Amino acid sequence: MSAHPTLASVIRSEWLKFRSVRSSIMGVAITFVLTIGIGALITASIRTHWTAHPEAHIGFDPVTTSLGGTLFAQFAVGVIGALFVTAEYSSGSIRSTLAATPRRVEVVLAKLAVLVGSLLVVSEVAVFVTFLMGQAIYSGVVPTASLSTPTVLRAVLFGGLYLTLLGTIGMALGWLLRQSAACISVFTSLILVLPIVTFLLPSSWQNTIGRFEPSTLGQSMESVSPPAHAFSAGASLLVLALYATVLMAAAATALTRRDA
Amino acid sequence: MIAIEHLTKRYRKTVAVDDLDLVVQPGVVTGFLGPNGSGKSTTMRVIMGLDRPSRGRATVNGRPYHDLRDPLREVGALLEAKAVHPGRSARNHLRALAASNKIPFSRVDEVLEFVGLASVATKRVGDFSLGMGQRLGIAAALLGDPGVLLFDEPVNGLDPEGIRWIRDLFRSLAAEGRTVFVSSHLMSEMAVTADQIIVIGKGHLITQGSVSDLTAAAKGAVVVRGNDRERLERALRAAGATVEVVNDDALRVGELSAEAVGQLAFDEGVVLFELTPERASLEEVYMALTAGVVEYGSGSS
Repeated sequence: MSAHPTLASVIRSEWLKFRSVRSSIMGVAITFVLTIGIGALITASIRTHWTAHPEAHIGFDPVTTSLGGTLFAQFAVGVIGALFVTAEYSSGSIRSTLAATPRRVEVVLAKLAVLVGSLLVVSEVAVFVTFLMGQAIYSGVVPTASLSTPTVLRAVLFGGLYLTLLGTIGMALGWLLRQSAACISVFTSLILVLPIVTFLLPSSWQNTIGRFEPSTLGQSMESVSPPAHAFSAGASLLVLALYATVLMAAAATALTRRDA
Repeated sequence: MIAIEHLTKRYRKTVAVDDLDLVVQPGVVTGFLGPNGSGKSTTMRVIMGLDRPSRGRATVNGRPYHDLRDPLREVGALLEAKAVHPGRSARNHLRALAASNKIPFSRVDEVLEFVGLASVATKRVGDFSLGMGQRLGIAAALLGDPGVLLFDEPVNGLDPEGIRWIRDLFRSLAAEGRTVFVSSHLMSEMAVTADQIIVIGKGHLITQGSVSDLTAAAKGAVVVRGNDRERLERALRAAGATVEVVNDDALRVGELSAEAVGQLAFDEGVVLFELTPERASLEEVYMALTAGVVEYGSGSS
């Protein structure tokens, strides 16, 4: 039997680590609760006030509104990704990990595979559940959307991809910064503070720069017709995937160069 | 076997290890001694491929750690106590390590049983005492049944029973032909555990050899007591010995062997009541060797 640590065995090891700590399980549970719970609150509230506010009917998107919970769940997936790495540094177990797998790129790839695999399932289940639940809440009062419409299916599907990619960005920050608190600050700044800073810029710059922000990319990905000045849904997915790839490549380079 | 050639490790401006050469042989327990901050842990991290050498290299069984095909099956290490996610159980921690090197899970329960942690295998490591954490670290080191073992300050946090257990463990691992490399800043610990001793200070090799070589190299003294102290003292000084009066009738003699002192007393017609060679303890040898290289000395020495 060859005992050479192959990527498959390292993935198996990382999967065991991922599911054997409470923080991952809690993170997944919080992702579901935020996506679905806040989706329910938003859609129920819209249904209640629908007839009293006819001005809100113009440009109403039953898909985006039902996926509103992802605005909150994005922080949960970011934390899942970051903690999967930073917990190894805070406990010191990174040394056991790297001693067991001295080819460090394999550790980066294995953790990435486990995270992307898990988040893809969790996020897609969450967005499809919240979408279907939202349409059920709307039905009879508010116009609804159906998954048989290709753009609707795409918007929901991309909602799950958005969460998965943000989790990946959280993980890359974890490798680069190695501290939970630093990661969470930077991640939150990217999502929340960046749009505020952009808002203070001249309006011509706002549109040019704003479309590159993760939150704008997410809005575009999750809506049937993307907002004005934003990239198309497909282009937004590509830009966000590019961010995640560049950050992960930087993470792998940093890990291979630094002392553990 | 572990070989270190011209190893230098610099962290920004501090030089932790400076042009170190050493070989750790299989079949014996090798003690790695030095004051705190002397570069022991750095050397061990470089051997394990965790820190990159600034110059030189470290090899295990002739190959750099990065080139080992199945690292946990060749090298086991306890580098720091409780370097485990506090929320994970002991068994899951070991299973994750085992999975990465394709070690069967049955081996996990074996080593947990061996270190005495079988009854707490499913408990959170965060609730472990320091001693239990050390035992888990030792279990992790033994997981792949490796031929080379490194232990960095393994005795920390162990109770007397645990210390006795770990000493016996080192000896039996060495007796099985494994390479056992144990660091400590306490000579007293190594004196009873190690066969070979390597002493470093400020990143430099100070000395290496067997425990008996080291104590023999240190100059001992001879305590002598006879019926005519003054006559004996005069004769000893004339023979070039250093003489110190211990009490009314006893002398501590340096620079001469017990045989030479006895012969001199006989020649002078002095009747001897006592002739005791005093061997410097390993602790004293160590203190003398490292006196100049203690990084954070108390100032009094």
